[in-house]
Amino acid sequence: MVIVETKDITKVYQKGTDVPIYAVRNVSLSISRGEFVAVMGPSGSGKSTLMNIMGCLDRPGEGHVLLDGQPVHTLSDEDLARVRNEKIGFVFQSFNLLPNTSALENVELPLIYSDRDHITETAKSALEKVGLADRLHHTPAELSGGQQQRVAIARALVNDPEILFADEPTGNLDSRAGYEIMALFQDLHAQGRTLVLVTHDAGLAGYATRIIQIADGRITSDKENRKTRVARDELKKMAETPEVNE
Amino acid sequence: MKTGRILTHSIRELGKNKPRTFFMMIGIVIGVTTVTLVLSAGLGARRKVMERVRKFGLNSLMVSAGGGREMGGGTASLPVVTLKADDAEAIKHEIRAVKDTAPFNRKGDGMLKYREKSYTTRVFGVTPSWQPVWDWYAEKGNFISDDDHARMNRVCVIAPTVQQELFGEADPIGEQIRIGTVPFEIIGIMEPKGISPGGGDMDNRVYIPLSTFSRRIANVDHITNIKVLLRDRADMNRAVEDIRSLLRGRHSLAPGVPDDFRITTPVEVTRMAERVSGTFSLFLVLVAAVSLVAGGFVITNIMLISIGERRREIGLRMAVGARARDIRNQFLVETITITVFGGLAGIVIGIGGAFVMEVLTEIPVAFSWHGAALGLVFSALVGLAAGVHPAKRAAAIQPVEALSKQG
Repeated sequence: MVIVETKDITKVYQKGTDVPIYAVRNVSLSISRGEFVAVMGPSGSGKSTLMNIMGCLDRPGEGHVLLDGQPVHTLSDEDLARVRNEKIGFVFQSFNLLPNTSALENVELPLIYSDRDHITETAKSALEKVGLADRLHHTPAELSGGQQQRVAIARALVNDPEILFADEPTGNLDSRAGYEIMALFQDLHAQGRTLVLVTHDAGLAGYATRIIQIADGRITSDKENRKTRVARDELKKMAETPEVNE
Repeated sequence: MKTGRILTHSIRELGKNKPRTFFMMIGIVIGVTTVTLVLSAGLGARRKVMERVRKFGLNSLMVSAGGGREMGGGTASLPVVTLKADDAEAIKHEIRAVKDTAPFNRKGDGMLKYREKSYTTRVFGVTPSWQPVWDWYAEKGNFISDDDHARMNRVCVIAPTVQQELFGEADPIGEQIRIGTVPFEIIGIMEPKGISPGGGDMDNRVYIPLSTFSRRIANVDHITNIKVLLRDRADMNRAVEDIRSLLRGRHSLAPGVPDDFRITTPVEVTRMAERVSGTFSLFLVLVAAVSLVAGGFVITNIMLISIGERRREIGLRMAVGARARDIRNQFLVETITITVFGGLAGIVIGIGGAFVMEVLTEIPVAFSWHGAALGLVFSALVGLAAGVHPAKRAAAIQPVEALSKQG
């Protein structure tokens, strides 16, 4: 069952008197429930723009976007906010946690803007799922980078979204914390979550089950990844040779 | 329910950057403190005047020697000698609205001596009518009688402070004291009247017969004041006019010559005091208003800077589902909360300051609910006005730009 579908979307940026820059050009793709997709490309290739459009943070200049069968490119800002709140989770490279705010309150944030009740309980259970049951009242400054990113993942999951977007989620982490985050994503995938990982790193894309390559705003390849890396195994190997990769 | 949740969340956010919140609050705190202080002091001053007028009597007026508008009667350097005890008699008998009159003369520095002790106090030369006209009586012994007045007896009635100073707990009635060099017998003690609203001790006096005062103490035949008691205070304006024309006639003042006396009514005293304190209050309230407006601009500026710093936060909030109006409301709630709490702090500090001022200056201060409410409403309005522009800016932020890696 298709979760996100784009039909011939184009997004152009025109800055000053320069020639227009096509961030995304005639992209059509569809992502089905339960897929773990890596969108891969060098910086400036348009992968983040594509993610923003699929994630309802941005609208395409041309083309159609369907989320869960519903056209979203025509929605008002207010309706888009509601769609993001209910159906989409984001994980960012720089975590984007509120400073001086406990992990629990950070995770509660999306619920504050929703109509749901029992927000504290829901946020608590989301933090338990990412292994931070004992860090509920720590502020970001009191947490390691890996823990901060797990708080951000808990925040992205707290509304039980249809699809989770992660933009270079390990970019600010050391390699060990990076493996842990990827292991968490693979666990979520195993539980049936739909994930979209945006990265420039071919190694990181190797954890996904499908790899879409982008260059100059166009899809250059879209293939199933048959040799999926397993983050848990790599973590284990790392524990045996602790000095490597540090 | 959702709105309430967003509101409480916004208020809680303020606690997370205390220095910023403090600096945004400070202008409002100062402004509201000033408003509270000024209006409380103004109310205190007004109460003080009303108290003074009430003690003086609403159906009374005062005739003082000397013209002009200056308070305090004929000046020491140039005494006006035209007001006489006969004038008091004439006012009493010729003007129907007048019930009674109390002419008196006074001296600010009478040196009292009792055995080895001496004490300087104010000496009043009065007639027996002092008691009914001032509604102020001797508590022990007797007051000055018609006989004392007619015979220029050397008798005196002392007030409680003088009694304390010279005799302590001992009974002074029948004792001899000297006023200057003249010996007097104490025949009575006045009932206490306490501190006058002006801060003077009304019990620090000695009363002697007016005739004795004129002949033996001051050696003059004029007086400084006549207190006039009316039958009905509704007759006040007519009585003032009648007394004026009577005195002008008695003092042979030609038309065009200014009065050589002054008539003060309670209404006039009240009005004068209110005019002075009103102008003063208005001025300070304007200063406070300027401080509040300046505080508002400070808040707008800090808020704009803070929104610049919080672009990512705003983008993130939008990414997780905040609508533009949620963001706008958050920043409006933040500024209004800051100003309202600043206003509350200002009221508390203002009340505290009013009490300190009362202790330091002995000017009574009355807490003005009116001022507090005004300060609070005004600070909320300043918060709203200061917050609108930053809140709109914040709400217009595009999440994609705010979250972009360079940002």
